[in-house]
Amino acid sequence: MADATQGTGGLTFDTKKRAWPNELNIFFALILIIFAFEAAGQLLPYMNGQSFLFDTRDRFDTIFNEARLRIIILQVAIIGIIALGVTQVIISGGIDLSSGPLVGATAMIVMSFAQTELVNGGPNPKAVFGPWAFDLPVIIPLLVGLSFGALIGAINGTLIAYTKIPPFIATLGMFLICRGIAQAWTRGQPVSFPTESYALIGKGMMPVYLFFALAILFHFILKHTVYGKHTYAIGSNEDAARMSGINVQRHKVLVYMIASMLAAFAAIVLSSKNLTAQSGMGIFYELYAIAMAVIGGVSLTGGRGSIIGTVLGAMVFGVIQSGFTYIKLDAFYQLMAMGAIIIGAVVLDKVRQERAALRS
Amino acid sequence: MKKFMTVGALAMLMGGTAMAETIGVSVARFDDNGLTIMRNGMTEHVETLDGVELIMEDAQDDVARQLDQINNFIASGVDAIIVNAVDTNATEAMSQAAASAGVPMVYVNRQPINMDTLPEGQAFVASNEIESGTLKAFEICKNLRAAGKSGGATAYMLMGQLSNQAAVQRSKDVEDVLGMDMCNFITLIDSQTANWSRDQAQDLMTNWLASGEPFDAVFANNDEMAIGAIQAMKSAGISMDEVQVGGVDATPDALVAMQAGDMDVTVFQDLAGQGAGSIDTAIKLANGDDVDKTVFIPFKLVTPDNVSEFIQ
Repeated sequence: MADATQGTGGLTFDTKKRAWPNELNIFFALILIIFAFEAAGQLLPYMNGQSFLFDTRDRFDTIFNEARLRIIILQVAIIGIIALGVTQVIISGGIDLSSGPLVGATAMIVMSFAQTELVNGGPNPKAVFGPWAFDLPVIIPLLVGLSFGALIGAINGTLIAYTKIPPFIATLGMFLICRGIAQAWTRGQPVSFPTESYALIGKGMMPVYLFFALAILFHFILKHTVYGKHTYAIGSNEDAARMSGINVQRHKVLVYMIASMLAAFAAIVLSSKNLTAQSGMGIFYELYAIAMAVIGGVSLTGGRGSIIGTVLGAMVFGVIQSGFTYIKLDAFYQLMAMGAIIIGAVVLDKVRQERAALRS
Repeated sequence: MKKFMTVGALAMLMGGTAMAETIGVSVARFDDNGLTIMRNGMTEHVETLDGVELIMEDAQDDVARQLDQINNFIASGVDAIIVNAVDTNATEAMSQAAASAGVPMVYVNRQPINMDTLPEGQAFVASNEIESGTLKAFEICKNLRAAGKSGGATAYMLMGQLSNQAAVQRSKDVEDVLGMDMCNFITLIDSQTANWSRDQAQDLMTNWLASGEPFDAVFANNDEMAIGAIQAMKSAGISMDEVQVGGVDATPDALVAMQAGDMDVTVFQDLAGQGAGSIDTAIKLANGDDVDKTVFIPFKLVTPDNVSEFIQ
């Protein structure tokens, strides 16, 4: 891109007019929020000069408060996995509201195939199926969960692509269906006590490693494969995409299937992390996943956004959540503050977009 | 149901002079786990009584159906009615139907909206929510004293959904106990909501641990959050012998955690006791005895000493 005359159709491409990558702005916003919490720690009298990110109690080898760094990412990793799928759906011009309840339903179903026979030497008090379902190899619950996710995604995608129902309505219906499945599965009873191998999937920092691995994978897929290019193309202009020979309908089904499989995988990690599945799991996850993507610069009108942006969006969430606990913000005000920050972030992004558009 | 009618009929034949009493029971849902425990408490208690017959109906979570059932009970001339309300806002009509027919009525487990204006011959049997948080907090206070921490101790509190009455009440109970002379050596470092959820509690506890402040106890509004906090503390390498953790509900998961030595205190809502208590109250009302408007069935404290009694 060093050559200023590069471009298509003889148009000149002026590198000076090229805007910063959007992700860089989100990164600066992240730094700004961290700085705000750091300042609050110094200014608020009851904080006794504690630091948000730095190790002021001399507990770690590095200068950072490593426990803080870990929880910031850990607490958003599972919703982050969902957000990776939601990002693709939104880039393709759709929306997926069913991911939160899908997490609940998948967790309930998967955990029923991951139970152990003996708990503290006694029989499992939460057994769902008979003895045949105890102590199955971990691959079985994994396959059951991903297949269930694929099925739900295929239904979502088929409804949207072939019957032309608006994605909002189709996935809203699926939202209710999945929450219903989650509750009906054991009539509201939690399912607990998984096998040791199942418990490893979400143990410790595993959710973070899985989140990052999947993020790298899907970053590559979106930027460098035909699948990715078609996803952006459909989201930017569906008719143009169809006329250029893309099988739009089939591609949409695929996008929704991938999104639901990611949500199902998040459910597996979540139930493993908590060693239980509950019908109420995943409440608001779909909205937080969408918010992460939007804060990360994914445009709800489709065609614009990136996995890197969404990962940064997730980290903004993690920093805010951890920061609120750090400054001991009254629990009764946290939701309001969270909402204000989400709106503020998107407004800032919008202003910046328009300025960038004016410049060029 | 047939069985109880037969039992009732037999009792009537054999009881001689003992007066047979018929009690109509309308339960909000038969398939609810907690309410099933309460229902079984009723039937088991009736089996120990002479000449009492139960007619048990499932309202299937339908307000209109429940009112019909009550009117049917009245029409078939029962001696008393027990209602586990589908919707506690819809109890006014039920109270009126029973009162105008002169049939005594007992509400069980769910508090009727017209509690303050209950007609003569009606009562409410339940557990006093205030006890749950208080019992838990006081037990932890005693344990901390026994551990020699009465010079000063710190604690975190995990609250349920802030829009939920039980969460607000249980949190206030803890604060009240910590205001008592005997327990005011405990200071709350912070109270936050984890929305009853194990997952959110895990993340919240890990956030608290990140600040590195030392603490001695964790109060949770329910067992799920207590377990989440325990999981977070264990993965941070904290010895569970050093920290007192208390919840409410005595769920199977919590009892297992207590057996494993992780959880220290939980509180059991005696639903079977509520069922039996509602039968006793209904019989007293039918006999014209004086009954308090509210009959409280005590919560039971569960600690490692008696946890085995609660494991099925």
